[in-house]
Amino acid sequence: MTAVPFSLRRVWLIACVTALEAARQRVFHLVLVLAMGLVLGAHAFREFNFGASELKFMADFGFGALTVFGSVLTIVATAQLFFGELEHRTALTLLAKPVWRAEFILGKIGGVMAVVTVFCALVTLLLLGTLYFRQQTLLAEHPELSESARALDPMAIIAVGVAHWLKFGVLAALTLLIASFARTSLYAVIVGFVMLLICHLHPLARLASARTDSWLLRGVAGMVSLIFPDFQLFDLSASIDSVGAAGAASLIRLVAYAGLYFSVLGSLAVYSFNRREL
Amino acid sequence: MNFRGARWLVVITGLGLTGALLRWLSAPLLLHRPAADRPDVRAETFAGAMGQGIALGIFGGFRPLVADFLWLQVQDRWEARDLGGTLGHLRLTTAVDPQPLAFWLNGARIIAYDMTEWRLAGLTRGDAMSESVGKRIEAEQARMALAWLREAERFHPGTPVLQIERANVQLNRLHDVAAAAASYRSAAELTDAPYYAARLHAELLRRLGRKAEAYAWLRKIHPKLPPNDAAAAAGLVLARLRGLEADLAIPPRQRYRAD
Amino acid sequence: MNGVAAIEARGLTKDFSFGLRGVNIRAVDQLSLRIEVGQIFGLLGPNGSGKSTTIKMALGLLESTQGSCRIFGVPSCEVRARCQVGYLPESPHFHRFLSGRELVAFYGRLCGLRGEELRRRVDEVIAGVGLEAAAGRRVGTYSRGMLQRIGVAQAIVHDPRLVILDEPMAGIDPVGVAEITALIQQLKARGKTIVLVAHELTQVEALCDRIAILDRGRLVVERDLGAEFTALEVSQLSAEHVAELQAWLEARGGVLTTRRVVRSRLEEFFSPRIPATRETPSP
Repeated sequence: MTAVPFSLRRVWLIACVTALEAARQRVFHLVLVLAMGLVLGAHAFREFNFGASELKFMADFGFGALTVFGSVLTIVATAQLFFGELEHRTALTLLAKPVWRAEFILGKIGGVMAVVTVFCALVTLLLLGTLYFRQQTLLAEHPELSESARALDPMAIIAVGVAHWLKFGVLAALTLLIASFARTSLYAVIVGFVMLLICHLHPLARLASARTDSWLLRGVAGMVSLIFPDFQLFDLSASIDSVGAAGAASLIRLVAYAGLYFSVLGSLAVYSFNRREL
Repeated sequence: MNFRGARWLVVITGLGLTGALLRWLSAPLLLHRPAADRPDVRAETFAGAMGQGIALGIFGGFRPLVADFLWLQVQDRWEARDLGGTLGHLRLTTAVDPQPLAFWLNGARIIAYDMTEWRLAGLTRGDAMSESVGKRIEAEQARMALAWLREAERFHPGTPVLQIERANVQLNRLHDVAAAAASYRSAAELTDAPYYAARLHAELLRRLGRKAEAYAWLRKIHPKLPPNDAAAAAGLVLARLRGLEADLAIPPRQRYRAD
Repeated sequence: MNGVAAIEARGLTKDFSFGLRGVNIRAVDQLSLRIEVGQIFGLLGPNGSGKSTTIKMALGLLESTQGSCRIFGVPSCEVRARCQVGYLPESPHFHRFLSGRELVAFYGRLCGLRGEELRRRVDEVIAGVGLEAAAGRRVGTYSRGMLQRIGVAQAIVHDPRLVILDEPMAGIDPVGVAEITALIQQLKARGKTIVLVAHELTQVEALCDRIAILDRGRLVVERDLGAEFTALEVSQLSAEHVAELQAWLEARGGVLTTRRVVRSRLEEFFSPRIPATRETPSP
């Protein structure tokens, strides 16, 4: 019998089945409807806006929906799709074929990323459309506002959407790593959300490690800031006006940062899952 | 070591090495961001706002909406003249979303003016009679407002309206004309500064008796003023120049010639 | 016995550890087995005797604590060992939204089949398990028996030399049992090696060339089902005969663990009277 090389075709096959399954999950439909509803309803919330321009407020609101519901979708879908295979024992049938466990893990993450991509693209495009429509209305009503109304650059909106998508990629790989250790889907989901929180508090950990006098706290905070990816780097929505100024180089750095974390977390998930007893 | 232990060790080591390797990549990512959105700048305000039930705002999602709801709380506490509650909610609002200047500017005014009035109104009749107590309260609130504005400048460096607000507090509450003059000047030297900041700098110099400095300053700024912009008030500045030339007895040949 | 065995286990042991203290429970204990090519081998034993654990180790799904296992001479932990293996797990579940045909094709593609060969094999195995009419339906609408049959189809789609069927007749009605029995016999006729994992002795006695009985992870009996064994009319044993059989087993190191009445006559009566094509496709 000849050796069976790693096959991207098998990864693709598993990813396709995973994506089809994910697209049929209720959680996907629910978060998509909620996020799109909030983007469409952002205009109605402008009464609560006291500090920013109307278009900026709508953009922030839309990206808020993308952040919250995208995170929920990524964590829940990753955990459910992984444990669904183990609990229903479809993983046994699949891994009893000449399939590498690495192919299984990459297929799973590929399937999750497919639905996350659809989610990010739909929400971002809807936001773009909503902003364009409101911009045209504002320009017609108040021609003197033309300068500020043109302030939101469509490319910047897309760049912020891409940054969110990159963050969800890292989050999916992180959740899969947790799932490779976890015994239940619920545990993976809970720990996934805790990790999301920690990754957002990255700057706080750095500050604590630099300022505290306690060697214990400094050590713990230093470890946290070293081990976990910094999700604040992906949150460009607040500084959307300066995304254009940051330029392509910055976005490429962000892609590289996300790509490297995605690869490392994915590899560690494969390593952990390789020895997992099914 | 069993496999479980080894697995943890490998994962933590792998992530630690990745974190160390990617520091060089992540650091420049923040350089292009405005200070109000730099996580490293915001870390301290994050720390102050932790545990106050505003996690959703801090973690990015709906940050502006959460801040706006907190601003409504500020208004509610302001109406009740609740000094502690207003200040606490002001700090929470800017911790969640330090971007809107309106939060900082209105916050400074509430601290410097409204809170002073609340504290004075709360004094007993005997205390109220004492001028020194009133001045002390006014100065305390003014210094608090200046500290608030310094915090605002960490997030919005080089913003003229913040420096003008600082000058206003120094002038109206601390009655420190020299400091206010300096603040108006630093505001005027920034790009996008309103024209009146430069005029107020000259006016305060004149009030301080430093007429020569005021004259030099107005000579310097007048050529840059657009003649057809009412806000620039080029005519008014020229009139001030003429007044100062008379006060300073400038010989006709050395007087400013507006071309 | 010469040549390469389909499965060869040597001193195979599996401990599971539980809890924070890592308390060990031994599921399989020093199991040595050799399953020859072309046999139908019955791996028998009560629930929890270690049958499924043994199979999972053979498939590389579990790592053995001690010992080794080879499939056609290749260590079972290697992916290439599974090229020649088809596996039907106990109570199988499949992706419910795929049709029967899509499901079998998916597993076929995973095994490297493509194009015309894939189409031909999918058609062949679906016809082989009698699911042509229901092949276009979503698997989620299948009955238990149909799931077992589609499970067998996916196991053999790549024409493996070794087919491992874990409790293939569990929860199936007598008609389904008869169909799966016929299918196994067809596979044997085509020279396949079949490992049948079961705890119902009567279901496998007619099929197997050789059996191994496991109890609490240990191999209790391994032997051919020759004439001496099969001549016993188990259903007609009197209490006297049971005592005699027990003494005979004990003399050879075996243990009689269960005694029960097998309703073979009812089964013989039932099977021919139920139409074989009872599971018809929905409109």
